[in-house]
Amino acid sequence: MAGAADERPPGPPAEEQLQQQHVACQVLPERLAEGKPGQGFLSSFFTNNQKCQLMLLKTLETSRSRGPGAGDPYVKLLLDAMKHSGCAVNRERHFSCEDCNGNVSGGFDASTSQIVLCQNNIRNQAHMNRVVTHELIHAFDHCRAHVNWFTDVRHLACSEVRAANLSGDCSLINEIFRLHFGLKQHHQTCVRDRAILSILAVRNISKEVAQKAVDEVFESCFNDHEPFGRIPHNKTYARYAHRDFQNRDRYYSNI
Amino acid sequence: MADGGGWRPPRPCEVYRAEWKLCRSARHFLHHYYVHGERPACEQWRRDLASCREWEERRSAEAQRSLCESERARVQATRKHTLVWALRQSPPADWHLPLPQEEKDQ
Repeated sequence: MAGAADERPPGPPAEEQLQQQHVACQVLPERLAEGKPGQGFLSSFFTNNQKCQLMLLKTLETSRSRGPGAGDPYVKLLLDAMKHSGCAVNRERHFSCEDCNGNVSGGFDASTSQIVLCQNNIRNQAHMNRVVTHELIHAFDHCRAHVNWFTDVRHLACSEVRAANLSGDCSLINEIFRLHFGLKQHHQTCVRDRAILSILAVRNISKEVAQKAVDEVFESCFNDHEPFGRIPHNKTYARYAHRDFQNRDRYYSNI
Repeated sequence: MADGGGWRPPRPCEVYRAEWKLCRSARHFLHHYYVHGERPACEQWRRDLASCREWEERRSAEAQRSLCESERARVQATRKHTLVWALRQSPPADWHLPLPQEEKDQ
């Protein structure tokens, strides 16, 4: 659910909901947004919240009138798959732009069925697309399976492995930007490492326990590519995956 | 799988071609090596494309059989790992419920 670099801690278990909401609100804002560079044109005229909302709108764009190229194909597929599973996503209900602690980018709060986006940490549109993809994978898992987010670290580990694997978090390019160089099978190393980081950000457990959980579930969860049917290395793969998802009735009735 | 009357290839032939082309591309080689540490295997897509075209042209029963077998093997490959969690029969009851009141008051 939450990762050191990319997510924020999830909501507290139901019985602790009396306290705060959002997320291990260790997530009170520690620094104000004004000083943040890098948004170019938008910085001068919009607050972080407005920027977050605008970028989110663009990510979720599925309008046919804008042409098939509009929006993000990873997100389009996830939204379709969730709708198909009975969890249609409503922007106002299921997304929230907020200030977050540290350099976490987002999180999925299973107790409120809400994706939180860290408006002070999401750098640009591409980053927004990836964070939304990552969190929607958690939401998708929550929708289609009984995931014991708060009581079974293996379930949490599984969803984190899937999210790191399928969202583009561990693409070769992203790893190079992080100065993690490696080629042969490096993707799997990245997925393990990021899953462990994410678990440690939201659970008060040792690295060894987190690592053990990831090791136990890795084989199964790394190979679970739902709803993509493959690891989408870039938008082309994601578009093909979306095409296959839309074709699934024909597919299953003819094999 | 319906024979005769209603059957058609699980994917349009253009899709088999697109998958084969993607599989054989240099970029895919790089992605596949990065993930699996070995080169990709693309021969099956080529065979499926050939079967698809053969069925389109001559309604070959052998082509139909070959395609079905190939796609079933693909589906089986995705299902060979036991899931960590139990799948739901219906979505979470609170997915569409409004946010808790305290949230709204803020």
